[in-house]
Amino acid sequence: MTNPAVDPQNFRPSNQSSTEFSYSTAGYKHITKPGLTEGTIREISSLKNEPKWMLDIRLTAFRQYQLLNTPSWGADLSGIDFDNLRYFLRASDEKPSWDDVPPEVKETFDRLGIPEAERDVLAGVKAQYDSEVVYGSLKEVWEKDGVIFLSMDEGLEKHPDLVKEYFGKVIASNDNKYAALNTAVWSGGSFVYIPKGVEVKMPLQTYFRINAELSGQFERSLIIVEEGAKVHYVEGCTAPNFSSTSLHSAVVEVFVKPGATCQYTTIQNWYKNIYNLVTKRAYVETEGKMIWTDFNMGSKVTMKYPGYILAGKGAVGETLSMALAGEGQHQDTGSKAVHLAPYTSSNIVSKSISKSGGRSSYRGLVKIAPEAHHCKSSVICDALILDPESRTDTYPTNIIENNQVEMQHEATVSKVGDDQLFYLMSRGINEEKAKKMIVNGFIADLVKKLPMEYAIEMNRLIDHEMEGSVG
Amino acid sequence: MKKSSLIPQTIIIDKDTNHIIKKPGHYIFEIIKPNIKVDIFSALQAKGDEEKELNVVIHHKAPKTTAQTTLKAVGFDQSTLIMKAKILIDPGCQETESFLTERVLLLSKDAHAIAIPDLEILTDDVKCSHAASVTQIPEEQIFYMTSRGISKKTAENMIVEGFLKMEE
Repeated sequence: MTNPAVDPQNFRPSNQSSTEFSYSTAGYKHITKPGLTEGTIREISSLKNEPKWMLDIRLTAFRQYQLLNTPSWGADLSGIDFDNLRYFLRASDEKPSWDDVPPEVKETFDRLGIPEAERDVLAGVKAQYDSEVVYGSLKEVWEKDGVIFLSMDEGLEKHPDLVKEYFGKVIASNDNKYAALNTAVWSGGSFVYIPKGVEVKMPLQTYFRINAELSGQFERSLIIVEEGAKVHYVEGCTAPNFSSTSLHSAVVEVFVKPGATCQYTTIQNWYKNIYNLVTKRAYVETEGKMIWTDFNMGSKVTMKYPGYILAGKGAVGETLSMALAGEGQHQDTGSKAVHLAPYTSSNIVSKSISKSGGRSSYRGLVKIAPEAHHCKSSVICDALILDPESRTDTYPTNIIENNQVEMQHEATVSKVGDDQLFYLMSRGINEEKAKKMIVNGFIADLVKKLPMEYAIEMNRLIDHEMEGSVG
Repeated sequence: MKKSSLIPQTIIIDKDTNHIIKKPGHYIFEIIKPNIKVDIFSALQAKGDEEKELNVVIHHKAPKTTAQTTLKAVGFDQSTLIMKAKILIDPGCQETESFLTERVLLLSKDAHAIAIPDLEILTDDVKCSHAASVTQIPEEQIFYMTSRGISKKTAENMIVEGFLKMEE
């Protein structure tokens, strides 16, 4: 979750005061029965008044979901009780202005500082509460240029042709089991369209929040960046503390047209009983550039490998991934780079921190096709492991199918050096503070790539996570 | 990806060892005593439509062990090289140092390489790294040698020979 405009002195990361953030679901307009059947999907689709082709996509995906196997690799997902999840929750009926948002919802977001944040640093904001977007805005300047920033549901209603053209085109519904599930029951998410040549100078932001217990959030985002256009999209995630687990399973598709640039930043701070299974992929055309900045701090299990298909000559993909795994957490993250065209390059930097028995894994793929000559790929994974109970893994797969390439992969694992601690402590800094400084230094390169407001918050979140970690 | 059909061969290491892997295959090195130093080296070549697979596991089962693993391979023609290597450090194996290098040279545009260097670290206080690279012979090296009157073919052979040599 992100919260840039909050007074730094009073800043409290959400998971600390999370009980204050939980609200009753009594006033909800619509909650589906637990479990998933074809009926549930028809119900969701009819509540949204969707065109028939979308219902067909959903139903096909549902059949694929039933047939696909749970991945045999990666994190342990046995804790998800799919039969007791609620797949669709609607908090209010209207598509309101900020004033019409139900008071409980508003209070939550007010506490998260969203309206203030919007005033200062953002070009547009969306807030998604459980299954649906409850609030949205876009600054007039960008609207005038033809920028579209809507919830996915509104996007489908107002721009069905665009949605039909791009929906499911880079992540097929049978890509994996959770992408199929998302396609079947998707609700909410963002629809972003940046017209040719338009450079959106301020970030667009969406906040995702799971409020109801035992629920699934299945947002679906589609970002289309036309020729030469440029955009930075930021998402923040948060959820209160529940005794039972919830599921967040998103699909994000990005289309980067020739010469366009898209940066997609995620700051994921779900509460530590959320399963976060996300499929994100970009299709990058000639000389386009896709940058994923992916920060994973929260959740019980995260499995997320943002990737790009470098389909046009000279396309560039960049991933900056940071994961922090604390007690009971498994961050299984990484990136996938598929080079299909010549002169493409990919650059993946991953930094992970494991502490208090947490496990962080880098899992990645670099594939260079026979036609993709003169490609460059560099993957660097650094892991910091803070105590003997923790674990770190690196699982890179590199498949190279021609010889005019430069492919490099490097990984290192280390702990906080005694010499580093000694140096700082001999200068009068206590051990906890010294450790925090070293950890912040470890991820500094990545944090620098964030807009300033987020960078400050990232450092705070890290400090908070590191609290009391001196053993 | 298809599962490896190789039959694993376990090599127990209980004293300082220099091990040269001479054939492709699946090798599991288990380092079972503390304060041991191991050097593992392999140089492979694949020609024609050969597919060669090397799968190496370096399993540190005792603290204070050191391993240095260097795997090199050259792929000619339409060959495929599969290089898998894993460093595994058990809980409680503090002060382990383990380094792995996989270097692949592809000499033909139809040659393929799959490099999978894994790490599984279950303890802290380790120094551990791996690096993998897949490249062709840098053009400046060929240029340097051909400009000195060596034919391209000979130059390539010399560079390959030098590349596959064990580092002292």
